[in-house]
Amino acid sequence: MEDELMLNVNHLSVEFKTKKGTVHAVRDVSFSLKKGEVLAIVGESGCGKSALCKAIMGVLPKNATTEGRVMLQDRNLLTVKEKERRRLRGSVFSMIFQDPLTALNPTMTIGSQIAEAIYIHQPKMRKEEVKERVYELLELVGIENPKTRAKQYAYEFSGGMRQRSVLAIALANDPAILLADEPTTALDVTIQAQILTLLREIQQKKNMATMFVSHDLRVVNQVADRVAVMYAGKIVEIGTREEIFKDPRHPYTWGLLKSLPEFSRGQKELFTIPGMPPSLLTLPKGDPFAVRNDYALAIDYEKEPPMFEVSATHQAATWLLHEKAPKVAFTTPAVFASEAGPVEVAKSTGTEIIRVNHLTKEFRMPGKRRFTAVSDVSFSVKEGEIFGLVGESGSGKSTVARCLMDVYTDYTGEIFYDEIPVHDKEARKKYKKRLQMERQMIFQDSTSSLNQRKKISYLVTEPFRIQHLKPKRGSLEKEAIFQLSYVGIDEQSMQKYPRELSGGQRQRVAIARAVATDPKLLIADEPVAALDVSIQAQIINLFKHLQKEHGFSIIFIAHDLAMVEFLCDRVGVMKNGELVEVGDTAEIFANPKHAYTKELLAAVPKIYKEGAPCEK
Amino acid sequence: MRKIIGRILVFFVSVLLLSFLVFAISRLAPGDPLLSYYGDRVEKMTPAERAWAEKKLGLDEPILTQYGNWMQNAAKGNFGISYKYKQDVIEVVLERLPYTLVLGGIGFVLTFGLALLIGMVCALHEERWIDRIICKVGTVTSCIPEFWISLMLILIFSVELQVLPSSGAHSLTEDSFIDRVWHLVLPMTVVVLGHLWYYAYMIRNKILEEIRADYVLLAKAKGLSRRQILYRHCLRNLLPSYFSLMAISIPHILGGTYIVETVFSFPGIGKLAYESARFKDYNLLMVLCILSGITVILGNMIAQAINERIDPRIRAEEVFHDER
Repeated sequence: MEDELMLNVNHLSVEFKTKKGTVHAVRDVSFSLKKGEVLAIVGESGCGKSALCKAIMGVLPKNATTEGRVMLQDRNLLTVKEKERRRLRGSVFSMIFQDPLTALNPTMTIGSQIAEAIYIHQPKMRKEEVKERVYELLELVGIENPKTRAKQYAYEFSGGMRQRSVLAIALANDPAILLADEPTTALDVTIQAQILTLLREIQQKKNMATMFVSHDLRVVNQVADRVAVMYAGKIVEIGTREEIFKDPRHPYTWGLLKSLPEFSRGQKELFTIPGMPPSLLTLPKGDPFAVRNDYALAIDYEKEPPMFEVSATHQAATWLLHEKAPKVAFTTPAVFASEAGPVEVAKSTGTEIIRVNHLTKEFRMPGKRRFTAVSDVSFSVKEGEIFGLVGESGSGKSTVARCLMDVYTDYTGEIFYDEIPVHDKEARKKYKKRLQMERQMIFQDSTSSLNQRKKISYLVTEPFRIQHLKPKRGSLEKEAIFQLSYVGIDEQSMQKYPRELSGGQRQRVAIARAVATDPKLLIADEPVAALDVSIQAQIINLFKHLQKEHGFSIIFIAHDLAMVEFLCDRVGVMKNGELVEVGDTAEIFANPKHAYTKELLAAVPKIYKEGAPCEK
Repeated sequence: MRKIIGRILVFFVSVLLLSFLVFAISRLAPGDPLLSYYGDRVEKMTPAERAWAEKKLGLDEPILTQYGNWMQNAAKGNFGISYKYKQDVIEVVLERLPYTLVLGGIGFVLTFGLALLIGMVCALHEERWIDRIICKVGTVTSCIPEFWISLMLILIFSVELQVLPSSGAHSLTEDSFIDRVWHLVLPMTVVVLGHLWYYAYMIRNKILEEIRADYVLLAKAKGLSRRQILYRHCLRNLLPSYFSLMAISIPHILGGTYIVETVFSFPGIGKLAYESARFKDYNLLMVLCILSGITVILGNMIAQAINERIDPRIRAEEVFHDER
């Protein structure tokens, strides 16, 4: 029974016809899914994993064409009639999505949305029975007081609760196959842990075959039985969880694993995969990964590698597995985490660049209600220090950053920047120019923080124009070339507009703009959260590099604890507007004192422990 | 309860403000009100006669005092007499109102019924030939001014083909139901055509926005058919915008009927309003403006109330407001 084959995907290809040309989203993908098994699909954004999911579910947009076969037992889902497909959807297989907020209809009660999923497939069910079933489902996904909750709307639910509700909808008809498309990506790390546990529990109880799509290797390691790694629309490696994490064979898998910050612990730089994923519009000849592959062979540029068998369950598409290829081995990191010893901390003895005393910021809500976003926060950052501010969404991190940048000035408490009391209006006026020059900010979303109608060269030199500064390198143009080359943007990109660059490049431009005026303090609000794993590592390295060159201080706001651990000298942990713990990074990560810090650290899924993949 | 009282208060304040503005502006504008009362005789009046006439009509006092007097009388239900018709203004208005109600009301219903239909057809066939054609034709028709369409229609159907009457609400010799409907055809066409595309296009785009929402994907994943998704999910979420659109459209459609009534000599209040403004028939003008104002304000309030019932989020915001 355990080995019963549920789904068999054979040479599936998905193409989208767009105005720019044909996008080859999924290329010749084959795999199978057994009953009670969790297959994880891993890859960076744009590798085709969502398209794969939608193709199986049959919910692709109209401009998509499919080829190959998706076999459910002995039926090819790609050729069955739409009516039959509809019958299967929601009853035999269901799907959950990344963003539970937009996935739920805002004007229908949660209960009726679940009931709808039941009615569609069992129209003759009695009203009372449906009601009972809705309550049962809500209870199953861990929502308390199902009777009152069923009558509420999505906006009355928290993010985690919404994802639970979507799961309840998916489970309404006891599906045999569940497709989960990045189900925890939009959630906070502690909520993510809860949802993952729940998902795993229910999956085992119902013995569902599950396809779990994610970009996060740590999450995948927690839930998957088998793992498929996708790159440029293709599965490049597939195997059991142990095989992929202990004995990966494809250089891309190596790169993904090595890009994790915990891999580079104790080292100066994060490992990065050079370059970026190819556009699926025009794929290069040969292996699309070749240009980013340190181990690429001559043949990689000529011919795409076929799947080589490593074991009965483990296959990888790389020429390295060919018998004539040189033998390259991947070593799981010898030194890891606790064994790495104390991380070398550049103890900064400098003066305090920023000192915050009892900062409290309230927001006025409609009526006379008030919402305290930051309450009584005190900390200081020394010159040349990288200070990490971590916490879940809504913990007040960004509000602190905005108070520091004078975006909000109606706070109580004191903020000293280099002994200038910036909480004082007179002082702000007096030192206006200096404050504007020396404090710079970088945002999460570089698409909206850069003016879309200005060229890159203009954006980088804008600070000079605003402040009427004479650029150090003679002309504004020379200055732009210099600053951009410094962050790794070539001269050709200077005349481009922000939308023509990739996310990682845009963030580099934002950084170049911020450091152009030789700031002393850089505030980076989630600067890598919107980027892919391999690009994140590149940006983090850039931060580290620039900080060393310029010697400025950075306040680094993030929710990714591993990144913070790698980059920051000291860390502050925020919860519900309060700063619950501050200390040296090594100290906090080794010995968290506050219960919340412990909870936060425990919630981060770990891949390796003492050099070996850890258990689920 | 508090909310309801608040809204009634807002309503009365708006109407009061409107009445004052209309009163002040109409009196400050140039023109001779005596002309509409006495006709051509005014030109031969001596200054003394003029003063006497102004006193008789209460036009000799300062504007604020005049307004005070008008308010006092209005509170008692006396809105004065029409200078031109020498009749109680309420009577004059009531006599004409049904015509406008029929023209504007049916026009309103037709406009929105058709707009929803066209919007849906276009949205379901997005970027296909039928959508493209409707979009192009729609844009062109919505650019043509109403008076021009009216004239063209009269030219074609009344003058050339002689199948439809060009003016009036009914024939002089005959006054049957069919005859009245016959007279309505051309004015109604213009009222509907003038605004149809604007709203249809808004509805089309709103439907497309809803169709692309993630919850539609989830509904699809549940196993709902396209039709079910459209009716159960999309249309319901579309309704708040639809009703808001209807509320906003009231003044436009009302304004449209006024123009159409004038061109087609249709005896509704639009034509009356035009005349009263032109000939300084103050009392009549006041009543007509306030009537239009009340219609618009009430329409907006009704739309708001309906939307609150449909979209729980609007109600929730209200709860926040009341929690002081």
